[in-house]
Amino acid sequence: MTTTSLTRPRAPALLCLALVIALLGLAGASLARQDLATALGALFHASPEDAESLVRHYAWWPRLAMSLLAGGGLALAGVLMQQVLRNPLAAPTTLGVASGANLALMAATLLAPGLLLVGREWVALAGGAGAMALVFALTWRRGLAPVVVVLAGLVVNLYFGALGMVLLLFHQEALKGLLVWGAGSLAQNGWSDAAFLAPRLAIGGVTAWLLLRPLAVLELDDASAKSLGVSLKHLRLAGLGVAVFLTGCVVSVVGVIGFIGLAAPNIVRLAGTRRLGERVLWSTLLGALLLATTDQLLQRVSGSLPTLIPTGATTAALGAPLLLWLIPRLKLERRPDVATSAFGRRHAAPGRLAATLAVAAMAAAVVALLVGQTHMGWTVTDDWAVLEWRLPRLLAAAGSGVLLAVAGTLIQRLTANPMASPEILGISGGSAIALIAAIFLLPAPGNLTLVLAGTGGALATLGVLVWLNRHSGFRPERLLLSGVAITALFDAVRAIVLAGGDPRGQQVIAWLSGSTYYVDLPAALAVAAAALLLMLASQPFTRWLDILPLGAPTARSLGIGLDRARLTLLLLVALLTACATLVVGPLSFVGLLAPHMARLMGFTRARMHLAGAALIGALLMVVADWLGRQLLFPQEIPAGLVASLVGGSYFLWGLRRPL
Amino acid sequence: MPLPCLRRRLVCHRLSLLLLTLLVILPVHGEPARVVTLDWTLAETLVALGAEPAAVAQADAYHVWVGEPALPASVADLGLRTQPNLERLASLAPERILISPMFANLGPRLSRIAPVENLALYSPDTDTWQEMRTLTRRIAALVEHPAAAERLIADTEAALARQRRRLPPSPEPLLIVQFMDDRHVRVFGENGLYQAVLDRLGIDNAWSGRTNAWGFSLVGLEALSGIEARLVVVEPYPVGVEAALADSGLWQSLPSVRDGSMITLPPVWSFGALPSARRFAETLVTALTEHGDDHD
Repeated sequence: MTTTSLTRPRAPALLCLALVIALLGLAGASLARQDLATALGALFHASPEDAESLVRHYAWWPRLAMSLLAGGGLALAGVLMQQVLRNPLAAPTTLGVASGANLALMAATLLAPGLLLVGREWVALAGGAGAMALVFALTWRRGLAPVVVVLAGLVVNLYFGALGMVLLLFHQEALKGLLVWGAGSLAQNGWSDAAFLAPRLAIGGVTAWLLLRPLAVLELDDASAKSLGVSLKHLRLAGLGVAVFLTGCVVSVVGVIGFIGLAAPNIVRLAGTRRLGERVLWSTLLGALLLATTDQLLQRVSGSLPTLIPTGATTAALGAPLLLWLIPRLKLERRPDVATSAFGRRHAAPGRLAATLAVAAMAAAVVALLVGQTHMGWTVTDDWAVLEWRLPRLLAAAGSGVLLAVAGTLIQRLTANPMASPEILGISGGSAIALIAAIFLLPAPGNLTLVLAGTGGALATLGVLVWLNRHSGFRPERLLLSGVAITALFDAVRAIVLAGGDPRGQQVIAWLSGSTYYVDLPAALAVAAAALLLMLASQPFTRWLDILPLGAPTARSLGIGLDRARLTLLLLVALLTACATLVVGPLSFVGLLAPHMARLMGFTRARMHLAGAALIGALLMVVADWLGRQLLFPQEIPAGLVASLVGGSYFLWGLRRPL
Repeated sequence: MPLPCLRRRLVCHRLSLLLLTLLVILPVHGEPARVVTLDWTLAETLVALGAEPAAVAQADAYHVWVGEPALPASVADLGLRTQPNLERLASLAPERILISPMFANLGPRLSRIAPVENLALYSPDTDTWQEMRTLTRRIAALVEHPAAAERLIADTEAALARQRRRLPPSPEPLLIVQFMDDRHVRVFGENGLYQAVLDRLGIDNAWSGRTNAWGFSLVGLEALSGIEARLVVVEPYPVGVEAALADSGLWQSLPSVRDGSMITLPPVWSFGALPSARRFAETLVTALTEHGDDHD
């Protein structure tokens, strides 16, 4: 599927050999710290009086075994997913399986701890399968096109991540153990986990081997495959079922381990292996070796640190740059775009519709300002002592709603992809990384410092995006996939930071949950002004925005300089996203939802689409902020989350129609 | 001046004096000082000083994770610690808001409602016990109960000294852990509450590894192996951990687990101040002595 210079038949074998040597070297160095014969002997039995041999027998050797097993299992799951979906970017983490499992375990810990006693792996499995089903539901009508599937996976990842953040916000003490798990630690203290995992992986492996020949048929296109008498639907279901089972088993034992499932199969393919059987074999081996070697390296490094460095999140963090390198080298199958033509029915009088929305937004704003719960119950008030607290949040909510909605409309039109949203570009992720660094590295940082750090992070991310895509002419899919890599890095950093259990993690969680809480009046006025200005700034580009969704050839023939148009719009999106992120944090699905809802309502031309989305964004955020403050009074649910829940439900309901 | 008149004036004078004293005393004893806090450690100290805060953030979670000293039912809930409900806070009209450095970024906003006091505990490179005493005195001064601080400090130190006398002259070293899941524990060391208590009790902490700014280190279970010490597990166990430990070869081979001398203690707020310290000392020494008797 790929055409790179690395096409030597022995390449995967040589790679594996190199890793084996590295692994043996690292493991040998560790073993040589004591008598080699005793250390090797500890694999089979431990002498109870010798602590060194106990650790070897019950921790070091099982950990090595576990890293090989988990790496192999995840890589195998990755190959299967990539084969079934004909998508080189499919992997346990990109399809949301891991985050689904994570959320399911969190929910079970809080609501039904009894379930965990029945079997963690089944809870994890159910969550993972649910997340993947959601990804498919989102992409079914676009024929499971590779880029769309990965973007939907990212949306699901972000969405589940947001839900998880809020559970954490309210129950940090109860969930602190799961934070370690979520960062994927390979620490072992006996052989029971390995003994649990090995037979399950064997079952998965045998099933995969049985499916090998029919799955190879999937390399043909659907019509030829059907003509060979294969039930594609059942075959895909079986393939994915095995992949999810493998992932669920690994994840339930050692936690979320990023990147291996994505990287190993792709490296093997780039090394020139074509046949499915060989890819399965070499990927599994490479995955096992890759994880084991990384883990040995980490053990060497982290021994002296006061906290544990979880392997799973570290592989993900180390893998992100590799992913950025990998993406331009993957040949993504292009399918005829279906959905963009279906930009919805046009509303007969979009102006009147917009006016109605504006009135609704105003009404919501008035209610949000004057009505609320206090310690005396529900009250209506116009006392400035109370409004003083409500006004900034109202302005910030409305302003960031507009900013994100405009950014979302721009990026969805720019990429002709309804799954695109500002978060997906990675700008929010980049600014979040900078904020986390500021919270942890500076003593008692004030809000101004945090804002500066966040802006710096957003700009740096934008720089990386522009630099990476400077040669591809800012092709939309490439842009979005770079965003996937940056977001993966952010997830990893967050996981590592939270796993340590540092109480400052609370501050990170509070900020990441997407709340208008920290805004004071001057900041809120600044946001509102920025929203207004940038909204006006987007007006000159409406011609581009009308034409770009029609595809590159059309745009070129109409005399649009594609590179320049894309770069300009990208900069605008980055600016909009950065402003909004600084106010409400990185997670609020308004940028995804508002443009959609506007389109479903019948705003089709770019100018009206922008206006409609902006109004919906403002309305959604104002309502969300108000609901968030009232539902669990006196606790406040972050506006970003309420918006995601409200909008997300609408989104899923809207799936009944083609997107 | 005629006598009756003088007498009347004297009575008046006394009455007004009485009234005045009543006016002065009543607010102190009848009404809680209108202090609120976001931090549970400050909250427990306030309660122990007899100056219950008017409101605490996440009061219901305080009952679960701190427990003793219990918050009176009259204490209002402010919502999340990281995002206290500002409208509610303003409507309570507190005279003072106490925070810890973790919430420093909220300072400017909170100071629009009432003066904010930022009180640190567990600063690096300071003697934790000294810092606890200073913290207690500062809080007591803020709520105008300076005598209560001296009483609380003296009571706590006397209680700890009493516990120390119950111990054998050179008690065996301890290793204090709290389970995160079935493979990871927090092990407590330098610059933490438990360390401060162990120092006062004259017990050695067997953990010599580095710890973070909050006095603990997150490690895999294998890090506990090879340390000659009696294990102390602070509850709660996460779900399923006890069952998993029964299968863990490494755990079962730890000396303290093998000979059954491991101690399990009820939950204590790991980042607390004097009240938590006292409670930890009492439950610890009781467990050590009771267990020791069974043991011998």
